Amino acid sequence: MSLQSALERLATYRANNTRASQDIFRNGLLVLQKSGFKKLGDDGWTTLEQLTLASIDVGRLDIADQCLQLIADNFPNSPRVDCLIGIRMEATEPPETALKYYADILEADSANVAIWKRRISVLRRTGKVEKALNELVQFVDTFYTDVEGWLELADIYASCNQYDHSFQALSHVLLLTPQNPFYVLQAAETAYTSEDFSLAIKMFLTVVDMTDADDSEQLLQESTPLGITVRAWFGCARRIAQNANLKSSSNTSAPKNLELLDELATERLRVAYSSSGQKGEIAKGRQEVFAWVATPLA
Amino acid sequence: MIEKLFLTLATLALLHAAYSTYEHLSLLKALGKPEGSLPLDIVYESILALILGLLGASLNAPPLKDITWASEMKKRTIDGMDSRLGFAHYKSRGKFLFASPHDAKI
Repeated sequence: MSLQSALERLATYRANNTRASQDIFRNGLLVLQKSGFKKLGDDGWTTLEQLTLASIDVGRLDIADQCLQLIADNFPNSPRVDCLIGIRMEATEPPETALKYYADILEADSANVAIWKRRISVLRRTGKVEKALNELVQFVDTFYTDVEGWLELADIYASCNQYDHSFQALSHVLLLTPQNPFYVLQAAETAYTSEDFSLAIKMFLTVVDMTDADDSEQLLQESTPLGITVRAWFGCARRIAQNANLKSSSNTSAPKNLELLDELATERLRVAYSSSGQKGEIAKGRQEVFAWVATPLA
Repeated sequence: MIEKLFLTLATLALLHAAYSTYEHLSLLKALGKPEGSLPLDIVYESILALILGLLGASLNAPPLKDITWASEMKKRTIDGMDSRLGFAHYKSRGKFLFASPHDAKI
């Protein structure tokens, strides 16, 4: 694994916001040992920060301390470095110490986004969910455009089974990033869980529209749904057709032609699971899916 | 393979044409008539170098990437979109899961 390919992988992980700590640690350690960070300039510091966080995640605090020392030496009074020091503190010290550290920084500068987020994260982790929730609501009131904050709010509500509030938080996410099918899928599944089936179907179909839309050249029968499109078709199939009286708490009108929709979703799922992967292997779970879509409606 | 060959040939042809031009101009200066025109074969050589270079550069280009948003979204994962790294918990079981056996202190 060469230096160049390691750096490319790290850059991809940074761009996609993935949290693949083990892989980042392996690649980053290689770059560190070959002292490749100096050549990168500005990008080198972000990569070093990425390696620091990954090493804390993986438990290699020795490497984390080394990287943190390098960063702190170069950027003496930076708030970003304060955040990293706080995270390092969270990993070993008791949570009260970390909370006190964050409270001190927030007193000096109460609009420090990163530190506020860390504080909310520590509160949630130590079980003070209500306090975390209040702080988070204040946070999203102050910083409306922070998508992460709304997503975290939706997650906290969903973990407490308050799916309506979760859906409301997700609707703000959709306002901020209307082009992202993943958040629409999350909203659709939340609506489904809170038994608002009409709205759920509408959003599942929106996901299909967003992710499968560039099939204008091929006939629909020839294209296989992949990725989250399959998940969206799952949401449209079977169960929905049973509830003939779809009462919707958001007053969405019930979709017409429910049986046709059910048929379409079943057919799409069959196509998705019939395609064979490499070496002609069968898709995992194919039998279960086929059995499920074939059960008669009770 | 053939792209790099074309590019190399084009570069060499261009350098050769440039050197020939320099030599020809020195010859003209020595003969006392610096207004003489350039011989045609040098011109043909440079045009050939241009064509070969164009072909080589076009063939040598990296593979084309999709520009639609949907195709970019196909490459992302739910975990990536939902990672919320600003709120991530760093006190996790990762310390125990990823530690190698010899540095475990259980």
